Amino acid sequence: MKTYPTYILTRLGQFVLVVFIGINIAFIVTHSTPIDPVEQSIAAATQYGSTSPEAIALMRQSLKELYGLQGGLADQYFAFWRRILLGDFGPSLSAFPTPVSVLVGRALPWTAGLLLSSTLLTWVLGNLLGGLAGYYRQSRALRFAGILAMAFHPIPYYVVAFVLLIVFGYLWPILPLSGGYGMNMTRALSWGFIGSVALHSILPVLSLALVGLGGWFMGMRSLVSNIVTEDYVAYAELGGVKRSRILASYVMRNALVPQVTGLAMSLGAIFNGAIITEQVFGYPGVGTLLVSAVYAGDYSLVLGITTVSIVAVSLAVLLIDLCYPLIDPRVRAR
Amino acid sequence: MSTALLEVDGVSRIYSRGSLLSRRQFAAVDRVSFGLDADRAEIFTVVGESGSGKTTLARMILGMVAPTAGAIRFKGRDVSHIRGRRARLDFMKEVQPVFQNPFEAFNPMKRVDRYLFATARRMAGLGETAAIADAADVALKSVGLSLAEVRGRFPHELSGGQLQRVAIARALISRPALLVADEPVSMIDASLRAAIVNLLRDLRDRLGVSIIYITHDLATAYYISDRLLIMRRGEAVETGEARAVLDRPQHPYSQLLKASVLPPDVPSEPGGRLRADPIIPQGASSHA
Repeated sequence: MKTYPTYILTRLGQFVLVVFIGINIAFIVTHSTPIDPVEQSIAAATQYGSTSPEAIALMRQSLKELYGLQGGLADQYFAFWRRILLGDFGPSLSAFPTPVSVLVGRALPWTAGLLLSSTLLTWVLGNLLGGLAGYYRQSRALRFAGILAMAFHPIPYYVVAFVLLIVFGYLWPILPLSGGYGMNMTRALSWGFIGSVALHSILPVLSLALVGLGGWFMGMRSLVSNIVTEDYVAYAELGGVKRSRILASYVMRNALVPQVTGLAMSLGAIFNGAIITEQVFGYPGVGTLLVSAVYAGDYSLVLGITTVSIVAVSLAVLLIDLCYPLIDPRVRAR
Repeated sequence: MSTALLEVDGVSRIYSRGSLLSRRQFAAVDRVSFGLDADRAEIFTVVGESGSGKTTLARMILGMVAPTAGAIRFKGRDVSHIRGRRARLDFMKEVQPVFQNPFEAFNPMKRVDRYLFATARRMAGLGETAAIADAADVALKSVGLSLAEVRGRFPHELSGGQLQRVAIARALISRPALLVADEPVSMIDASLRAAIVNLLRDLRDRLGVSIIYITHDLATAYYISDRLLIMRRGEAVETGEARAVLDRPQHPYSQLLKASVLPPDVPSEPGGRLRADPIIPQGASSHA
């Protein structure tokens, strides 16, 4: 059996490897796009009049220098890694000269706030309801909740998002249609601003939660209904252990182990979810930023966003893996 | 016969299955009666193929399932009327279960010694840490283990045979009058089976515990039973002294059951005694 430090070390090694491979793939993909950011900038600059070919050549030269694109692919590759290790993604090409890190830093809290909170919320709620439904199988209310969860689960979340927009933004306009906060607000740590942010997040969170809930609910319910037939549950019931205690420390505790793995995996999908949800609700997050960066051929921004998301997701999964021995003694090393 | 330990009085359990349109009812246990005497510890064996209602009968005796008809009384008290935490604990003090699958008998998240300590505290009413550890050790020693071997271990760190012995030790801590052992050896390695079966016999002789031994295995049934009940499709087809029943079975099903057991010196001729009968008891052919 491996010792815990060995476990941590191997897991850290895997983390570094995953991040390295992921960033490399992102580099290759962005650098094989046919969109050339230099030519795009020149096209934008020369749109309104004729510029002499010498001036254009000069502009091309200085833009390449500024963007860090001079030299061959290998030179660019090493320059790219040098900068990444220093935590610098260079300037954005489409919003020159704003650094990529500023743009990402501005958008990241929105995405993290929206998706992390909705993922955790659905996970906790889905598992709790699913566990209750698996244990108290006679309950009519929980059975009804099961049918609802099953009905919502197969609907794509963007369809739910549009339906929510139509219902609460148009038919019964009580919630804002788009944006992360009110137009007239200044970003400050005031109650008004926080309230506005919360109000704007209701629909996006709801669209993700309604769909996500079903999966956790059904998964947990079937896990629990397998566990309630185990003899140790029967023994606890025979011994007069309180039902709430049986549910918590015998049934849920055991059923939760695979669900934690599931949570780690769904954290990995956070950035996929961000793109469409943020587009639908005009949310100022990383997803919106990424889409506009792809359109503009701004590959330093694309690379910056991908790198941050690769590191963030791998880190989240790593943390959950490191906590795993705490929740399951069978993984725990001596 | 002064007092009865357990009276099973015409007990039936009906289940209905199928959809709303085609409800069909079937009796998992059909009017079964027997009784155990309080003055004489004995091993009472319930034999039958899978689906014969053995486990349902055990669950009714333990009060996990309420009978549809008839009554089960333990020391004169109706088992299905036990309500509430206090009453359950009092009942469990005297009637302890041992389950079929030792790997399912313990919560994989809990250390097994915690089970023994909790049982000692809740059911034997012990308070001091030393007394609790002592009771656990005594119980473990009576099944050939010791607290030192088990302390701090999780279920996955013990073998199936060890776990089953810990399960029996747990059942013994409260000094019960009756053990309901539902196929306690069917999940255990054949080499350990004899040890567990001998242990049950030993418990009867030394500690005076009556045991309801539920099995599909005629060989061990013959080996340790005092009395025996053969069940088929919920009904008791034959009951009596174990040796008498097994040596001269009266009911055709009992005869078939006995004939299905492979004798140790079975000749391997074609068309021999092994028949592909649909009601050969489960696992019977594997016990030579």
